[in-house]
Amino acid sequence: MPGGDFHPFFFVVIAAWILVCGLGVVLFRKIVYSAVSMVFCFLGVAGAYALLNAELVAVIQILVYVGAISVVILFAIMLTEAQGNEYKLFFNRQSIFAAPLAVAAAVILTVFLVSAEVADVGETSVNLGLRQLSAILFNRYVFPFELVSLVLLAAMIGAIVLARGEGEKP
Amino acid sequence: MSALDWWLLLAVLLFCIGGFGVLARRNTILIIMSLELMLNAVNIALVAVSQFRVGSQGAGVLFALFVITLAAAEVTVGLAIVIANYRNKRTVQADRFDEMKG
Repeated sequence: MPGGDFHPFFFVVIAAWILVCGLGVVLFRKIVYSAVSMVFCFLGVAGAYALLNAELVAVIQILVYVGAISVVILFAIMLTEAQGNEYKLFFNRQSIFAAPLAVAAAVILTVFLVSAEVADVGETSVNLGLRQLSAILFNRYVFPFELVSLVLLAAMIGAIVLARGEGEKP
Repeated sequence: MSALDWWLLLAVLLFCIGGFGVLARRNTILIIMSLELMLNAVNIALVAVSQFRVGSQGAGVLFALFVITLAAAEVTVGLAIVIANYRNKRTVQADRFDEMKG
């Protein structure tokens, strides 16, 4: 079966992990708890990729999200929140509007999903290995690949300029 | 419901959780974290569709890789903006950035 055999047990475990940790990110009042919950959520998403037989994306997810992005976010929290900002009440005015909106979006998308009847065709689908994937990446998608490296360079320079502040020597 | 449907349902739920975070929370760092959740949800959907459909030629997987890269760029610039704002206003609460209020 393409996309790996569908193990209901593993899927439920991974899905519950991702959703619980995701809810933790949104609902924890202390931002450090949210950040730790986010790290676990990213780990769960990496597990989901592994379950989908997409090993490359799983490894890159752990490298980039769990390794890099989490550290950057924790650093930003350290630089800003460490001075003891006050915690706002969680149930503020926005969440009164945001909660029904999010639930409505989830319901609408689920209804569309069920009514669209996306069929997973393809017992013949080959699971692309690393070799084939890299061949496609560096042949057909080589221009986007180079463009992304340019975007990363621009983002890096932009981040340094923005975070440096006025008149400081880098 | 097929296996692909379940994966897409997981993506939908994670996306809406992230969307709730973006709408409801005031801390700008937490808004960025919720945005990352939404991007992860989209990645799950992309990889799932790519792995379950014939003839996708790995396009979904590669697209997910591009999304991950651009998310890294986005979070770098976003947090730099947050820190620059914090330096000016000594706060990260989104409702304090109200200079443009009429």
